[in-house]
Amino acid sequence: MARVTLNHVTKRYEDVVAVNDMNLEIKDGEFVCLVGPSGCGKSTTMEMVAGLTKPSEGNIHIGDVDVTTLPPKDRGVAMVFQNIALFPHMDVYDNISFGLRLRKYDKEEIDRRVDHASDIVQLEGMLDRMPDEMSGGQRQRVAIARAIVREPDVFLMDEPLANLDAKLRVHMRTELQRLHKELDTTIIYVTHDQAEAMTMSDRIAVLDAGELQQIDPPLVCYNEPANLFVAGFIGSPAMNFAEGKLVPGGFESEHFSVEFDPSQIPGASVGDRVTLGIRPEDVFTTDRIQNLSSATASLDATTDVLEPMGDEIFVYLVLGESAERSMEGETASSNQLLMSVNPDSDIQEDEDVEVVLDRSKVHLFDTASGHALAHGIEELPGSGAGGGPGTEAGTGGRTGADTESQVTEAESDR
Amino acid sequence: MSGETQTQTQTQTQAQSQSETEQGPLANWTQGVISDPDQRSLLYRALFYAITIFFLVTTLFPFYWLLVLALTPNNLILAGDWDLPFLRPQGFNPQAFVEVFEQIPFHLYVFNSFVLATMTTIIVIIIASLAGYVFGRLEFPGRGPLMLAILMVSYFPPAAFLIPLFEAFTGNPVVAPFIGVELFTPPRLVNTPGAMVLPFSALFLPLSIFILTTFYAQIPDGLEDAARVEGTTRLGALFRVIMPLSAPGVATAAVLTFIAVYNEYFFSSIMALGNEPQQWSPLVGGLLQYQSLYSTEFNLMAAASIVGVLPVVILVVVAQERIVSGLTAGALKE
Ligand SMILES: Nc1ncnc2c1ncn2[C@@H]1O[C@H](COP(=O)(O)OP(=O)(O)OP(=O)(O)O)[C@@H](O)[C@H]1O
Ligand SMILES: [Mg+2]
Repeated sequence: MARVTLNHVTKRYEDVVAVNDMNLEIKDGEFVCLVGPSGCGKSTTMEMVAGLTKPSEGNIHIGDVDVTTLPPKDRGVAMVFQNIALFPHMDVYDNISFGLRLRKYDKEEIDRRVDHASDIVQLEGMLDRMPDEMSGGQRQRVAIARAIVREPDVFLMDEPLANLDAKLRVHMRTELQRLHKELDTTIIYVTHDQAEAMTMSDRIAVLDAGELQQIDPPLVCYNEPANLFVAGFIGSPAMNFAEGKLVPGGFESEHFSVEFDPSQIPGASVGDRVTLGIRPEDVFTTDRIQNLSSATASLDATTDVLEPMGDEIFVYLVLGESAERSMEGETASSNQLLMSVNPDSDIQEDEDVEVVLDRSKVHLFDTASGHALAHGIEELPGSGAGGGPGTEAGTGGRTGADTESQVTEAESDR
Repeated sequence: MSGETQTQTQTQTQAQSQSETEQGPLANWTQGVISDPDQRSLLYRALFYAITIFFLVTTLFPFYWLLVLALTPNNLILAGDWDLPFLRPQGFNPQAFVEVFEQIPFHLYVFNSFVLATMTTIIVIIIASLAGYVFGRLEFPGRGPLMLAILMVSYFPPAAFLIPLFEAFTGNPVVAPFIGVELFTPPRLVNTPGAMVLPFSALFLPLSIFILTTFYAQIPDGLEDAARVEGTTRLGALFRVIMPLSAPGVATAAVLTFIAVYNEYFFSSIMALGNEPQQWSPLVGGLLQYQSLYSTEFNLMAAASIVGVLPVVILVVVAQERIVSGLTAGALKE
């Protein structure tokens, strides 16, 4: 029904550029999540699609219609606002049916739709309450119901589940997904909740400082982040980063090195400053690498703080033989590494461990531009166990080293 | 320990009672108000009643006095034989309230004022709402100076406009000053509601615009945005969301305008060429009809005044309900 296209859309306020040259093409029926740090222009983007603010430059199409100058009422969009914005002088029924009554639907149809919508958001029996007699979460559900009764072409939802408790949030999440499947409408959805973005969306659009960083399916954003920002933003806890440079034998930083053939990295050459990224779940202690296809040489580390989360344990590692804890602040040459391990692991604090990185999950970024250079690195063909330059420890068990099938993910340079 | 504190408090109370016997009754009383919460609340209640009664007396006494005058036959009023201090009616003559309508068509004068006030109020509220929306909710260059210019209209005494308006409304062509170019010839508006409603609207607009600007500016942007996404125009959002939420402000502006026009005499006495109800002479004009060259019927004037005030009293009571319900029905939370 409705494709949403943003062409070179820019929004300037007096002193800030809220959205900068945004190009976005959202397919008909697609569920797209906008994520990004606070103030990066998500709400502004939504408001421009809704027609509440005019872009300073560029144009917006919904379906085949150029809606850049159309008023909101003619755009066929419904919106759930970040600040909820229920009409305080109307009861819940009137709030939900406001748009329908404006469009002169007949009474039975309005009743039917209001009933259905209030069913979905579990608001039965509250239809004659006033908004100020409801809790924040209930009000938010009214706002969602107000949007869904309209059955619009495009849904805009600005953090619609922010005020709900965990259980209701999961419920609403599935309800919204079901609704999406049922109505097949295009949904643009803003959220700060990574789980929501990962589970609900067809594609995630990552914004930073008003610029689109990447728009891809959730797993692509997760596994092949386009740049340092996306890599650091998607995933919780965040990816480990280590700054260093490319040397003939691979990557070398102050505290550790990883051996590979730098010539396999397109667009980079020996001597370039690069940043290595590795997610906490792709760091393993040497006793658990049997199921790894290809691991790096092992690194000496000392465990620092443990954070048991229930389903996993986050282990803060301090790299290096001497294991001096460098204090935070200089992330650049930080010798800290976050690892997640099984909850049944018997790992202790202040324990000396050897860890390896999953080669297929190592990311390399150009430090200066932030662009991704490679996702996954292949082993040096010649090198056996010896370890690259500067590798302090000897080899750990490199059991899975011969199966290189999976490691060919390095093709991508998104 | 406990024994020690006990003896301490004992000596304290002793000292207190001693000082009490030494002080005068006023000092004792103030001491009591300061230390004893019961006595304090008693004082507060007494003050509350005193002030309430003061205001009630000052506002209601004129009505009481009107009633007394209306019920007292005119010859007894002229005799002026009041029994002070209670000022009871001398005699009982409710007939005056009927006579009011027999002597002159007083109801027509009331009707005139009512119609003039209603028309002006509607015009003022509509225009002031639009202006209040623009000044309160839109950003545009020159907003401050423009607002000031509008408010400046109310700085001029209405009499300053009277002569040019009278000239225009009697059908004389409007000529641009100094250059002598004839701009247009207005229709002859004297003796019609137009001659009064137009200047009243212009005169009372600034205050209403000011009131509504401040009220409309406080409605959160999100509510207007929500209404517009739901399918209203900006104008629709103004009348469906912003205005209802500003009900107290709208009611205030409307009541002020209505009462001012209803009681207006200066302009209307001149724009209605004769003091006739057919020429849209207002309520006060009607009151003055009871005064002839040879006699003044004070009791009828008083009775007519009471009759004339009634519509306003009803209106204010109704509007007050609106104001109160507007204030309580859902505070503006975002
Ligand atoms: N009306 C406005 N006038 C001036 N600047 C504005 C206005 N609205 C937004 N901005 C600025 O535009 C930028 C983007 O704001 P926006 O509301 O889109 O952020 P956001 O991504 O929705 O943030 P959050 O996650 O906190 O809701 C911010 O720097 C903000 O200060
Ligand atoms: Mg926002």
